[in-house]
Amino acid sequence: MAARLRGRPAHAPGPTYLSYTPNGKKLITVGVNGALRVFQHGSDNEPAIIDVLTDGHTAVASTNDFIVVGAEDGSVTKYSLLTNSMEEILVRCSLPVRDVSLSKDGEWVAVASDELAVKVVNTRDMTRIMHLRDQSRPVKHVSFDVSGSTLAVSCTDGIVYMYSLSSEQPQLIKRVDGLIKTLETDAEANAKVAWHPDGRAFAAPTATRDFQCVARSDWQRQKAFSGGHRADISAAAWSPNGALLATAGVDKSLCIWETRSQRLLKSYDDVQNTILAIDWHPTDNVCSYTNNNGELFIREDFVPGEHAKHLRIALQPSPMNNDPLSEISGNARKQLSNGDKPNGVRRSAEDQYLDDLLGPDAMSEDEMDFIEDDDGAGYAEEMNHVGKRSAVTDAGRPAKRHAPFAAWKPQIHEAFQPGSTPWRGDRRYLCLNMTGFVWTVNQDTHHTVTVEFHDRQEHRDFHFTDPYKYDKASLNEKGTLFSCRPSTQTQQRAILYYRPHETWTTRTDWRTQLPAGEEVTSMSLSESCIVATTSKGYVRIYSLFGLPLKVYRQKSMPAVTCASWRDYVMTVGNGPVDGDGTTRMLYTVDNVRRDELCQSEDVVALREGTELRNIFFSDKGDPCIYDTEGVLLILLHWRTPGQAKWVPLLDTKTMDRLASGRKDETYWPVAVANNKFHCIILKGGDVYPHFPRPLLVDFDFKIPVSSFPAGGVEDEDKDVAQQRNLEEQYVRASLQHALASDLVDSTNSTSAQRAEVPVLERDVDKALLQLLAAECREGEERGMKALEIASLMRDRTGKMLEAAGKIAARFQRDILGEKITQLAERRLVGLVDEEDM
Amino acid sequence: MALPLPPGLTPSEVGFLCEMEHVTVIPRQTLDGLELLGGPTGALKPPLPTPLPLWLALLLKKQRRANITPPPWLSVEALTQILDFETDERTAELFSPLPDLPPATTTAPLEGDPYLAHDSLELSAPFLKDAATARAQADALPYHWLEIGHLLITHAADDFDDLDAVRKLLRDLREVRMSKLRKGFEVLDAGGGVKMNGVGGMEIAEVRGFVGGVVDGLRRLNRSREESRKERETEERENGLGSSSYRDDEDEDML
Repeated sequence: MAARLRGRPAHAPGPTYLSYTPNGKKLITVGVNGALRVFQHGSDNEPAIIDVLTDGHTAVASTNDFIVVGAEDGSVTKYSLLTNSMEEILVRCSLPVRDVSLSKDGEWVAVASDELAVKVVNTRDMTRIMHLRDQSRPVKHVSFDVSGSTLAVSCTDGIVYMYSLSSEQPQLIKRVDGLIKTLETDAEANAKVAWHPDGRAFAAPTATRDFQCVARSDWQRQKAFSGGHRADISAAAWSPNGALLATAGVDKSLCIWETRSQRLLKSYDDVQNTILAIDWHPTDNVCSYTNNNGELFIREDFVPGEHAKHLRIALQPSPMNNDPLSEISGNARKQLSNGDKPNGVRRSAEDQYLDDLLGPDAMSEDEMDFIEDDDGAGYAEEMNHVGKRSAVTDAGRPAKRHAPFAAWKPQIHEAFQPGSTPWRGDRRYLCLNMTGFVWTVNQDTHHTVTVEFHDRQEHRDFHFTDPYKYDKASLNEKGTLFSCRPSTQTQQRAILYYRPHETWTTRTDWRTQLPAGEEVTSMSLSESCIVATTSKGYVRIYSLFGLPLKVYRQKSMPAVTCASWRDYVMTVGNGPVDGDGTTRMLYTVDNVRRDELCQSEDVVALREGTELRNIFFSDKGDPCIYDTEGVLLILLHWRTPGQAKWVPLLDTKTMDRLASGRKDETYWPVAVANNKFHCIILKGGDVYPHFPRPLLVDFDFKIPVSSFPAGGVEDEDKDVAQQRNLEEQYVRASLQHALASDLVDSTNSTSAQRAEVPVLERDVDKALLQLLAAECREGEERGMKALEIASLMRDRTGKMLEAAGKIAARFQRDILGEKITQLAERRLVGLVDEEDM
Repeated sequence: MALPLPPGLTPSEVGFLCEMEHVTVIPRQTLDGLELLGGPTGALKPPLPTPLPLWLALLLKKQRRANITPPPWLSVEALTQILDFETDERTAELFSPLPDLPPATTTAPLEGDPYLAHDSLELSAPFLKDAATARAQADALPYHWLEIGHLLITHAADDFDDLDAVRKLLRDLREVRMSKLRKGFEVLDAGGGVKMNGVGGMEIAEVRGFVGGVVDGLRRLNRSREESRKERETEERENGLGSSSYRDDEDEDML
């Protein structure tokens, strides 16, 4: 490249715009004269010219196969890049077109003109057109997000309108006010929204000549790129991986910024005319821009050599204020297993997390190469770091087919703190349960923690400034437990802080430090002890007054989470590797007072591909888990070693409220109490609850015994549904009876608990009686099944069998009645049922 | 001395009675169950939602001891849907239906088994279980919708997500339904009738005076016609023997 920068005269002097095709092979420029130019990337040859009928072009957008050009006469025309010829006029406006934007799949083009409405036209069928009419003044810019479902419309009234295009009818989802400046539609200054490639944030030039990032999730302002321009910004573009940002100003300045630190990397001072459009080459270190003098500049080695590595790394997160990714929270664990890739380009934990977030269809490398290129024939073309199949050989990064030589690493389950959520905006919940909730707000230099209780009479809400930046909390009736991470800068060690709600001495809250280099991965507070699992694989148990009671090494490591209830401590860790490459989660239930293992290294029964969402003890003291598939499971017979089994209590996917299929909701598990499942309803694809605090909702248990259509059943079906209901009731009653009798048998139970068992036994028998009545009604031929039901009766006094006999008599099933009487007599004289022998 | 009140329930009486409906509250402090005339209430244990009579819920709400969960039909989506039904051309003649009635309760030895039922009790509005609790049906207005909606948006305003929209929708619904009722009474005449399925208690109380007046006025206007009809009838009765025998003959012929 020549040392001196020389512009390529592309068009007649005047505003000129450009666009790279997504594969990076071609660069298209449009200007005031009646011709379009198509440059080949990496070739100095004369560009191809498409002669067109229109002049005064104001906008261009491209896909690999076609381009869309807007002109001052109001027409938006589609040209084919394969034949370099005009295809069709997509739409015609009555006033000049100001901007066009293509969705990533090339399906839709959004057109901003001096008319009030924005038109969104299908590029293959121009009769399909959507009008966005919510803005009050003409629109200057339009911009599709990465997924193509959201359109940002920068209006000349200084408001950015966000439309959701995912439904048939476009919907205005947000007016972002006060972000951009009020501009004329033909001004050189720019208000175009630039979506960060990771899709979580967008950025736009502000009136203060900054480039301000805004989160897509809550529309809160995030970090800003400030201080680079002395006049309004006229063009901006994120690098394809989002690690760099190029901005140009009306004052003929051109800057490169680093996204992570918002630092100005380089400012070019050799710009002669105002730059109106910038575009990065999708893969190479090349950036091109066009100015208001009809010239095109293709700058090779645009990013200076020492910073060029930024272009080769994987997709970077957008600059958020409180990124769950930048701090390792309880929900984003450090990647021990595959953080380091063998090719020298370190993939940080952030990228892994992003891949998880985006799912297999997006930018992830691992899921995308479904073709196993095991013989090296190259039929599966390698992905480059932008997730696109590279057009030119990427010398910066060795091909991925060397990867199989590296050691294979199992996928481990991340550690998490039950009941906590990741950062969203500047706040997160540290704990959310039936006692209350703990949330923290990031104030940059410190956090502020608020503890609120459901029962405001019993406890007083409190609030404190937190210099330690606690990242985990656990709350119960007696007190609140916090922990913070060790800090390398301040030599601060990990701290456990316990604050009881009630004291009769002056001060009983205490802090204890963990040994250097040890970090709390999860912790739990019960009525009698404090449990913490640490990064060194220890389980540390303290009394409520800070006395260390026990330390032991967990058998399955690294730890995932823990829960406790009274003296029972349940720890969950990563066990041996399963067939699908993930580790199997193992749990241990330990009574720390009696020092007895109830269950040792037993399996947390999760289906392949599902994760643990929450773990907690029910109010009666039975361990419960909730998985990402929406199934609530309870542990039965867990006090006897080797007898434990997971029983489903509720499959939220089969609940009646979802039967219509119209509701799209998931549930955030909070607790199992009062024989109900308490949760928070999450709508619209949310994974975690956020602010303002949503209400708790409770659902009855429904064991997935059978599926039947709920609501609107025909009369014939009604009987069947009734029958199924009774069957489910029987299974559920037996489960509850088993749980209660377990509790009574193996603990010093209270009289209330002991009194509950016969009541539950009666419930089982009642369900059986109703089933029996249903069988009797069906007819004489169902007698065998009816007798079987009668023999399942738990009651030993004979009263229930007597009632069964009465039912048989009422339906005049005499033979059945006789058999039931016989059964009752056998039981009465102490003869066991035949099955029991 | 005769009571100066018009017959039937006045709107204020209806408003008082609706406070017996149950709503779901989220208690903010513990309270033992109360033995009330209307039946015992459950113990309050935060944060477990509990159904309570509306008057008690409002009392606790005023003392900031509880939050009231608005019933599902008092949400923006549900009200919009109902308003759409009311204003839709095809259903313009109808009022949106009341919630489904619960199945008849039986006093059978085994509950829920109609075959063993001795007798059954059909329930109907008002004071149905779960008419205004969090478990209420979302797509139907219960009998006391107007009163409950009004009381909740005035006294439990902070428990609504989108108070203004709910208030506006309630007012719209009320106006649409009132205009329908009034339009219905245009045809009121001797022998005319209006189908009032789905009309709420407060709406009836509100139009009672008006309708009563209209019907009375119409009767007064038609008095002369009525009197002449009565005269004719008595006349017929007086010389009715002949006609009745004639009718009998006819009947026999028919057989």
